[in-house]
Amino acid sequence: MSNKQDPMLNEKRDAPKARPAPLPWRDWIGVIPFFLFAILFILLPSATLLVGAFRDSTGKLTLMNFSGLFVPSILGAYWVTIKISLATALGGGLLGFLMAYAVTIGNLPRPLRSALMTFSGVASNFAGVPLAFAFIATLGRTGLVTVLLKNILGLNLYNQGFSLYSFWGLSLTYMFFQFPLMILVITPALDGLKKEWREAAENLGASQSLYWRKVALPILTPSILGAMILLFGNSFGAYATAYSLTGGFINLITIVIGSQIKGDVLFNPGLGYALAVGMIVVMAVMMAIYYSLRRRSERWLRQ
Amino acid sequence: MKRKSIWSWLWIIIGVIYFVLPLYSTFDFSLRAKKGVLSFLAYQNVFKDPNFWSTIAFSLVIALFTILVSILLVVPTAYWIRLRLPQLRGMLEFISILPFVVPAIVLVFGLIRVFSGPPFFLTNTFFGTDALLVAAYVVLALPYVFRSVDTGLAAIDVRSLTEAAQSLGASWATILFKIIFPNLRVAILSSAFLTMATVIGEYTIASFMVGIKAFGPYMSLVGQNKTYESSSLAIISFLVTWSFMGLIQVFNRGKAEGSSLSGAR
Amino acid sequence: MRSKTLLCLVSVFVAMSMLMAACSTPTAAPTAAPAPATAVPAPATAVPAPATAVPATAAPAATAVPATSAPAATAMPATAAPAAAPTIDPALVTAAKAEGNLTVVGLPHDWCNYGEAISTFSSTYGIAINELNPDASSGDEIQAIIANEANKGPQAPDVIDVGFGSTPQLIAQKLVQPYKVSTWDSIPAATKDPDGNWYGDYYGVLALEVNSDVVKDVPQDWSDLLKPEYKGQVALAGDPRGSAQAQFSVIAAAIYNGGTLDDVTAGLTFFKNVNAAGNFVPVIAKQATVAKGETPVILRWDYNALSDKDSLAGNPNIAVVYPKSGTIAGIYVQAISAFAPHPNAAKLWEEYLYSDAGQNVWLKGYCHPIRYTDMQTRGVIPSDLAAKLPAFSGPVAFPTLDQINAANKAIADNWMTVVGADVK
Repeated sequence: MSNKQDPMLNEKRDAPKARPAPLPWRDWIGVIPFFLFAILFILLPSATLLVGAFRDSTGKLTLMNFSGLFVPSILGAYWVTIKISLATALGGGLLGFLMAYAVTIGNLPRPLRSALMTFSGVASNFAGVPLAFAFIATLGRTGLVTVLLKNILGLNLYNQGFSLYSFWGLSLTYMFFQFPLMILVITPALDGLKKEWREAAENLGASQSLYWRKVALPILTPSILGAMILLFGNSFGAYATAYSLTGGFINLITIVIGSQIKGDVLFNPGLGYALAVGMIVVMAVMMAIYYSLRRRSERWLRQ
Repeated sequence: MKRKSIWSWLWIIIGVIYFVLPLYSTFDFSLRAKKGVLSFLAYQNVFKDPNFWSTIAFSLVIALFTILVSILLVVPTAYWIRLRLPQLRGMLEFISILPFVVPAIVLVFGLIRVFSGPPFFLTNTFFGTDALLVAAYVVLALPYVFRSVDTGLAAIDVRSLTEAAQSLGASWATILFKIIFPNLRVAILSSAFLTMATVIGEYTIASFMVGIKAFGPYMSLVGQNKTYESSSLAIISFLVTWSFMGLIQVFNRGKAEGSSLSGAR
Repeated sequence: MRSKTLLCLVSVFVAMSMLMAACSTPTAAPTAAPAPATAVPAPATAVPAPATAVPATAAPAATAVPATSAPAATAMPATAAPAAAPTIDPALVTAAKAEGNLTVVGLPHDWCNYGEAISTFSSTYGIAINELNPDASSGDEIQAIIANEANKGPQAPDVIDVGFGSTPQLIAQKLVQPYKVSTWDSIPAATKDPDGNWYGDYYGVLALEVNSDVVKDVPQDWSDLLKPEYKGQVALAGDPRGSAQAQFSVIAAAIYNGGTLDDVTAGLTFFKNVNAAGNFVPVIAKQATVAKGETPVILRWDYNALSDKDSLAGNPNIAVVYPKSGTIAGIYVQAISAFAPHPNAAKLWEEYLYSDAGQNVWLKGYCHPIRYTDMQTRGVIPSDLAAKLPAFSGPVAFPTLDQINAANKAIADNWMTVVGADVK
């Protein structure tokens, strides 16, 4: 098997010591456009966030905003948001992966794959007011499915304790845009699993599950982890859907930030900015966890 | 060896049911504009509104520009970092996550503050405002685009391809446009879909930047006061976005199917 | 092959640029029948008993009271032609037209019939109106002014329409510029800033909006909302920590359930009980959720409820009910941004809104325009419009600014803990 076609050796080849030696500064030219864009359009506008987090209402420097983070209601808000993001990242990731698998490796007809891809593109951003209403119309007290279950099976969901306006109801709603996102992001990786490897494994007598455990999943894990981080972030930052579905009655951190920054009553933008900085910290922590997991999985790929 | 597709079909069917039910409920509700009768009255009302056509055209154009800019920005950068500057990968990933945690309202007001005054004065013309809007959307789409492209790059052997092309005398432009881009077709397509969907429905930034000229704010305006029309609008926007994406896919189908090095499925 | 696709791409790009340039022109306001800019000389006969008596037997401790006229006035019979309202300065009109644009924010078209106000103003004066974020809350509008301080582009709002409770912030942060419209004197003193920084524009009264197709037994009063037959049916039309509609619902609940305008605890307890009875639905209710039957009983400004009723046109039937024990009135105010890029257009807009014609446009949207009593006295309200306002003779509370702010703070601090409609 030629080295050139084997991405399993990629990581080793990408290691700095194998690099030929052009002038190092020339390399940085290639990334200038992007970083310039990032500075101008992401970092500069968000500077108000960082600056505002350290200012109080009179403009003086202060750490009070950050101390305001450590009250039970705010910490609870972070925790609930993390919980729902984890739940929908894992749940959405799982079903999304299975569906992507079904249309790539699973030998389903080609048109189904195109249809699923385009549909996923749309569904992944069908969020906010329309999504909230769609779920109200489906699983609300007067929703289609609720009524159907009541009439056909005699099962009253709400009497059984289910409510759309709860943690699980919101998670179900979030999943609507989480699976498609997973499908779209993981499909290129699944495409990258060469048929030759499976055939080689089968020739060597490996069963399906062995192939998956020892070959396919290790290769896919970095991409799966990356996709899950995306799903987590997507859910963590979601605002419009939660607000439309539960009108600020849920203690999610994005909603708390919104009410501080919008300044209707609880006008403490300094606290709002500090909360947003807290969100950045949480995401950074998640990314650190993601890195260590990814490095561990990439060990499989280095010989 | 033929693999049994039972499980594949199962997952697809579960997924399809999950997607279709909420959409069907919305559709069913949108048909009830006339009391007691199922009719397309709500749809007719939407199509008769000239603002529907102008706003959706506006948002589609903005979406197309956003797709172009973000792909041209992200693909070469991700490629370059993978090739030459792997130590920057972490920073790139972190930057790509930032749009999730910066609230949209902070972003839009921040952009206005930075770019409306000296030295940019971008907001003094409609063209400048639209350009600023495209930039804002590129930022919003960044996490999705980067993740797709990164996943796609992970699946191809970037180093070997580059070295092979260089040894044949290709310039950087040739490598990028004739080798990398075609190999990332699936990833680029995914990111194009994600970007388009993001832009069409986006509300907060559009509402403070251009107001009801864009489709998101227009949908909100309708949704405030017209119940059935807002449901039909949701379905229509879904279908319009879906067909536009189908168009992009057809446009792409023109290229040779099996040219991807990552293995035909 | 490659160059063909590249050519294709380039031509698409060029076509798109042209399309975008064409689409980038400001959306022209739809044409509407040009309404006369001056007063409507309606030879209407005496306007029947004023709707929502201003201020009828007010609830305890209601001090801030608009309207200085005699209660339950029978309008002076319109014999001679009514004294025309002061006309608008032509120099202002010219200056405004020269500016050519006006940027507004937070104006849904069916809120007090703003849609008609916008299109009429636009077609009468030929000034294009740039509408930002129609869903903006008072806080959003204020943030928009602050963020656009240095911006002379179309993102900077010229005028705002915010809740009464936001007025201290406008003055403290110097966000508005003073202006007194030509009809200034007929605006009740308690509803305007003496220096002209902000001025009340209209008010409405809280009512129950009920989907009477779903709810056969329409609730008539606050205590009815606790009855078991309304299980899972009662909702608020906003977030009590931010939306005036929701906040006033809690304040009103307080007044008529054992509390006062100064102590809103009874209101929180009331909603706690509604929630405990299983009647409360923790979703922000809108016209769509009422029509669907998901939130068939909601607390809403009467003008919104009545315009919902019109908009739905019987599909489903909507009943608008004022709670028998009494209700509460909420005032909104107009102001011109201190950094307005089009100050003359802004002033002209205010002149239009405060002219008899403009006030009648709001009246058509079921809002009580702030100059109602003056216009009624002069007999310039068309009788059909006046008849549209439902008569309500029960108690209406008019809270002062201090009471509103104190109540809002108490609600924001305690809503989660007391009512506890929280996600676990």
